Amino acid sequence: MRHYETTYILRPNLGEEQLTEIIDRTNAIVTNDGGAIIFLDRWGVKRLAYEINKEVQGYYIYLNYAAPGKTVDEIERIFRIDDRVLRYLTVKLGDTMNAESIEAEKQRIAEKAAASAVAESEDAEVDEFDSEALEDESTED
Amino acid sequence: MSQPKKVFTRRRVCRFCTDKDVTIDYKDSKTLRSFVTERGKIIPRRIYGTCAKHQRQLTEAVKRARQLALLPYMGSTQF
Repeated sequence: MRHYETTYILRPNLGEEQLTEIIDRTNAIVTNDGGAIIFLDRWGVKRLAYEINKEVQGYYIYLNYAAPGKTVDEIERIFRIDDRVLRYLTVKLGDTMNAESIEAEKQRIAEKAAASAVAESEDAEVDEFDSEALEDESTED
Repeated sequence: MSQPKKVFTRRRVCRFCTDKDVTIDYKDSKTLRSFVTERGKIIPRRIYGTCAKHQRQLTEAVKRARQLALLPYMGSTQF
C-alpha cells in the first residue's frame, strides 16, 4: 500500500446530493481495493484562478488515503469519464503504508488541524507576520 | 562614475531554511502567492535568494497549484 493524496474539483452547482454521491463513490473505490481513507476535507466552493470548462468557481475536495497503485488508476479513470469533475491531481506521499503508519498519519493531521484552529483565531497576527518576516530579512545584515 | 550602479549587497538567506514555520505546500496558495510575480511568474532564486533545494520544491508546488487552478498560469494573482 502506498500513501496518496488526491484533490479534485467538482462543478459548483451540483447540489449536496450529487456531491455526496461522487465523494462516496470515490471513497468506495479506495476501500474496495483494501485501502483506507485517512482524511477527507471539503474545502468548499472556491474561485478558480482561470476558467475550466466555462466555470469560474469550483468545489474542492481533498482526500488523503492509503491504497495500492491500481486504485489511483481506477479513480482517475472514473474522473476522466465523469464530466462533473473539472480537475484532479494525485500526489504520492509515501511508498509504504501499514496500519501503524495510517494511525500515525491520522494523528498528525488531527494535531495539525488543532494547530491551525489556534492559528485562525490569531489570523490578524498571521497576516502581519508575512510583511514582518520580509522586513526582518532585510535588517538582518 | 566612481561608484558604479549600486547592486543589492545584502546577503540573502533562504526563507525556508531560516524559518522552519514556513512550509512549501501546493495546497497553500496564500503563501505561494508571495513567491510569484503579480502576473503569476515564479520569481527566480537570484532575486529571493532561495536555496536550490527549496527553489526546486517551490517550483514543483507552484506548478501543482496551477494545475488545480489555485494559481494562474498567467494573469493577475489578485482575485
